[in-house]
Amino acid sequence: MKLNRSIFWIFPLLVLALPLVLNQYLQYVVNLILVYILVGVGFNIVVGNLGQLAFSNVAFFGIGAYASGILTTQLGMPWWLTVIPAGLCGALAGCAASIPALRGVRLFYLAIMTLAFGELMRWLYIRTPGLTGGSMGLTVPEPAVFGWMLTTEYHKFYVFLFIVVVVVIATSRLLESRIGRAFLAIKNDENAAAAMGIPTGQYFLLAFALSGFVVGIGGSMYAALVGHLSPEDFDLIQVILHFAIIMVGGLGSLIGSILGSILITATPEVIRHFEWLVGSEEWIFGVSIIVVILFLPRGLSSLLAKVNSIFKDRYYRN
Amino acid sequence: MIEQIQSVLTNWDAMLPVLPQLVVSGIAIGMLYALIALSMTILYRATTVVNFGHGDLVMLGAYALFILMPMVTFNIAVESSALGLLASFVPPFLVALILSLFVLFAMGYIIHRVFIWPILKGPHLSLALMAIAIGYAVRGVIRKEYGKEVLQMPRPFPEQEFEVFNWGGIGTYMTLDEMIFCGVVIVMLLVSYIVFSKTRFGQIVQAMFQTQRGSSLVGINVMHYNNLIWGVGCSLGALGGVMLGLALALDPDVGVWTLLRGFAAMTLGGFGSLYGAVIGGLIIGILEKVLGVFISTAFIEITCYLVIILVLLIRPKGLFGQHATLRI
Repeated sequence: MKLNRSIFWIFPLLVLALPLVLNQYLQYVVNLILVYILVGVGFNIVVGNLGQLAFSNVAFFGIGAYASGILTTQLGMPWWLTVIPAGLCGALAGCAASIPALRGVRLFYLAIMTLAFGELMRWLYIRTPGLTGGSMGLTVPEPAVFGWMLTTEYHKFYVFLFIVVVVVIATSRLLESRIGRAFLAIKNDENAAAAMGIPTGQYFLLAFALSGFVVGIGGSMYAALVGHLSPEDFDLIQVILHFAIIMVGGLGSLIGSILGSILITATPEVIRHFEWLVGSEEWIFGVSIIVVILFLPRGLSSLLAKVNSIFKDRYYRN
Repeated sequence: MIEQIQSVLTNWDAMLPVLPQLVVSGIAIGMLYALIALSMTILYRATTVVNFGHGDLVMLGAYALFILMPMVTFNIAVESSALGLLASFVPPFLVALILSLFVLFAMGYIIHRVFIWPILKGPHLSLALMAIAIGYAVRGVIRKEYGKEVLQMPRPFPEQEFEVFNWGGIGTYMTLDEMIFCGVVIVMLLVSYIVFSKTRFGQIVQAMFQTQRGSSLVGINVMHYNNLIWGVGCSLGALGGVMLGLALALDPDVGVWTLLRGFAAMTLGGFGSLYGAVIGGLIIGILEKVLGVFISTAFIEITCYLVIILVLLIRPKGLFGQHATLRI
């Protein structure tokens, strides 16, 4: 069956009706899913599309969240004005994280280094109590958009949905363009890409900055959603969560990131209903990543792609 | 920080006699990092895989001893035969330690055979993620079963302190634990040096490090030796975990902490170098203590992160390693 891609608009339009059927708590979970969609999409740019093993995503997430929190508490800016600056702070952190990659550090060396970067950032959140509230955490005031306060989860949902749709469409357009194809070329063979005249260094920088921007916006949404940031929110357990999202969904697939974030964020809520499973999130995530790597290396999105070719990732226009 | 350095310089005479104590306790904790880095280096040398889940397996080693200890004590008490009599001379801690090393050997063997080997030809990304996921699953199980209360490691010998030497009235002390740790790590380093450079097993491992395909062409059973090396690496890590459990406490979250210190030691010493890992571990241990007291307590936490970042940026091959970067 040949379908037009504009059919994807069905999903955000259907989701618009969700607040009618959900209570506050379930709406909060749906909002969290929206946050993690951006985290997954941003992370997938570096790991899935560029093919680099970087753990710095949680640092971008934290920097975005704290940037938004600090701008609202210290400067008194309304939340909607801090979304883009939070993304820019994330992008700046992305540029910083790409320095080792530009120096030629690859594979697990890059992984170790970005891991250390993330831990260093978490230490910084604890050690600068004047800005971040230290280990007590930072309480973020209620988010405001154009002077309206987003008091309930339903209000936040519509704003978040708008941001996510815009960012996801923009990312998808970018990945279908020359830039996205350059990322794929670098992933497949860096030397060959350079030989074809692709300035690999510039694209490394671009991919990390882009990833930082998207994840930073996700972080800013997280600050608005939770209302209280603490350094423990951005430790290495969070890294595994991000990896689980993109592995289960599918590496290098935009639909995969969305699918993965829905599944991974909803799992703890499902677990909560079974008495004997309480506290089992960790090993369930671990085992599900193992199973996906062994039996479904391209993630759940590869199953969807078999159902209809519309779910395949498209890197050229026809 | 500048004022702190100045205050150190003005109080130099008062601070200087503390230095030997700091170096000694730095060496003691550095030996632990060195043992963990050594076990990771052994894994890396044979299989060219960096085990990102190693910290959690180290943690599992300590918990395995904790779980086995009551069983061993119980069995020895019940047994009244000649074997039981013989066993009563052996301290139960030692029995539990050896058993837990065997358990971790089996874990490493099985992990490599079942989870790593099928994807070894695949991209590095999935290898690293597989190791992380295994570590995560291990940590999840341990936390679900034992994570609720703070557990104390059984002690094989009482806590004692000895004065190593005295400088101007300020003594330098070392606990019995630290002395035994240092001895064990030095013995382990010597054993692994002899095994890896003098025996046929070591030659085979060296061949596999250079090229796995070539070594399988000359008739080496690569899978079998990889399994063995994973087992050895994991049980060596478990030994480190037991020491860590004695030095600190049992904690499911110690894995990441351990992993980063091990990485820092490996990076500083150079990936794949056995004595590099040990020297790197010692340097990091001493740096942590000395910078932590002389400049700022913050350095106790961040020395290893800074070492990783600076070494990989300035001299990526470390002190004794091979090339680690490529040109773009």
